[in-house]
Amino acid sequence: MPEAPVLAQLDLELRNLRKRFGSFVAVDGVSLQIAKGQFVCLLGPSGCGKTTTLRCIAGLEEPDDGDILIGGREVTRDAPWQRDIAMMFQDFALFPHMSVAKQVGFGLEMLKRPKAEVARRVAEVLKAFEITPFADRKPASLSGGQKQRVALARAMITEPRLLLLDEPIGALDYSLRETVMIELKALQRRTGISFIWVTHDQNEAFSLGDHVVVMNHAKIEQQGSPEDILQRPRTPFVAGFVQGNNVFRGTIAGMVRDQALVRTALGEFEVPLLGAVPTLGSAASFSVRAERLRPTPEAAWHNRMTLTCQTVEYFGSVRRYILARPDGEVIKLDQFGAEPAYLRVGEEAVLGWRTEDGMLHEGAPA
Amino acid sequence: MSTIRIRSPAAYWLAVPAALWMLCAVVVPALLILWVSFWGGRQFSAASPLVLDNYTRFFGNQTYMNLIVQTLIHTATLMAICGVLGYCIAYFLVVKVRNAKLRTALFLAFIIPFWTSALIRAIAWVPFLGTNGVINNALMGLGLIDRPVEVFLYSRTGISMAQVSLYTLMASGPVVYMLAQIPPALREAAMTLKAPPGVVFWRIIFPLTLPGVVIGQVLVFLNVMADFATVATIGGNKIALLANLILNFYEGAQIRAAAVVSVILMACMLIGVVAAMRVVDIRKLGA
Repeated sequence: MPEAPVLAQLDLELRNLRKRFGSFVAVDGVSLQIAKGQFVCLLGPSGCGKTTTLRCIAGLEEPDDGDILIGGREVTRDAPWQRDIAMMFQDFALFPHMSVAKQVGFGLEMLKRPKAEVARRVAEVLKAFEITPFADRKPASLSGGQKQRVALARAMITEPRLLLLDEPIGALDYSLRETVMIELKALQRRTGISFIWVTHDQNEAFSLGDHVVVMNHAKIEQQGSPEDILQRPRTPFVAGFVQGNNVFRGTIAGMVRDQALVRTALGEFEVPLLGAVPTLGSAASFSVRAERLRPTPEAAWHNRMTLTCQTVEYFGSVRRYILARPDGEVIKLDQFGAEPAYLRVGEEAVLGWRTEDGMLHEGAPA
Repeated sequence: MSTIRIRSPAAYWLAVPAALWMLCAVVVPALLILWVSFWGGRQFSAASPLVLDNYTRFFGNQTYMNLIVQTLIHTATLMAICGVLGYCIAYFLVVKVRNAKLRTALFLAFIIPFWTSALIRAIAWVPFLGTNGVINNALMGLGLIDRPVEVFLYSRTGISMAQVSLYTLMASGPVVYMLAQIPPALREAAMTLKAPPGVVFWRIIFPLTLPGVVIGQVLVFLNVMADFATVATIGGNKIALLANLILNFYEGAQIRAAAVVSVILMACMLIGVVAAMRVVDIRKLGA
């Protein structure tokens, strides 16, 4: 196979990818650039198109439109076995009739490596993934955690440019997930292979990803670093999907210097414009993170509202207050768990926040 | 709801009716045949002395020996044809047909003929295979042949054609079941590990369906070995296999010879099944 000229040092580039199944649009104009050795998480609710995007990258689905470049080489019409990728499946997809050693070596065998080299590499990889004792066992006799290691070893042994992971730890016990996450992150750093990790779990996405891509309804809503997405949600969907945001919807009632005045059911609030130029009277939404809200706000803070505390949830590191809003929704207020509690259930409180802590969203809210 | 554990007293008690039935309908008659096959002397009674004469006479006859070889060759041919054809049909139905309604329709078209008895289906082949039959007329009409092909009816070819139609489903069914059990992700995982489709089939799909293939082969083997009706109907009086020999002896009132052939036939079948069980542990299926 002649190598196409390397256009850029990107591990993966998607250009305007589209895929529909019948009348259902699964992926709608997804563009993405992944630099060398990145840990990328595709995050979104089920049915948002993240898995279809991953399957298009793997070659398991053929996109209707758009280009896929792996390592700068156009692979859109290539079959899966012609691409420089490996994939880990949600339920691991281990071959039930092959021993652990045999299936870990399968990829190298397919690359027609000499038998001695395959045996040596398999021994190394089994050792690295601490599964040497199970070398001769069949998958049916392995625990979930062991299966996960075997699946990972099998995918990693060929040292692909991209490792695609479809909810790779979703099938594991909850207690095991955190350990596995730390190990996978370390593995990705060590090998320099780009990981593309599909998940609906935002804890996974934000703790692992260098780059998080939030998808909804077949489109990318926002992409960036975890901090960027957590602190600066750009759409009402992202703000609502990411935990710990309070979303306010209303209309633009005025603009003063670099601030907009948004009229909502709870009152009028000042939100920084940050370069946006909305039309007066148009629908708008903004969000404020739960930990940015404060009870008994300082006198200089313009944004404030009076609410009743409904529930208090205590997570150890965080104390979360749920306060009832007159429109039936709730406001979340987070407090550092070690501090004495701000409020009790049933207590009425005035909450406020600094103007610069509000994030105005792009586009008209639904 | 309670569960019945394996090897518990309840499990054994529940097996009693079936075991009794099998004992009366299968084991005792088989033992009776075995007993009769050793009867000697002039009298035909339970008081007959037990001798090996019936067997020595049978194995001393070269014609009978040839017949055993012929039967085994014929059976092996049918196992091969039904096996390949059955696998292709199963693969087509499970993997290639994506439309669920079309798949159900094809399955039914495949299965409904088997609601009629095997004998009727065998007889139904006669008007197809004769010199003035459907196949010959069709071939003549298409101008492919000048005069009717005579080998279809009353020949080994005709018998094989009929038996392929009768027994391909038996080779196919277990493979359909095994293929349907394979998660699509296994195929995809192999492809992402750089295996092209041919390799995916031989390294992943085929080994996983092997138990189904073996069970199908066993079913075809047993049925073809025991099938005297098709051979008699399509083969006329020209062709006989081991099972027909039993009928011939029986009709000739040579009960002891009939018993000998029956025992030999049963022995061949048992050896075949034991050999198959060594390849695949059928008891582990579905576990």
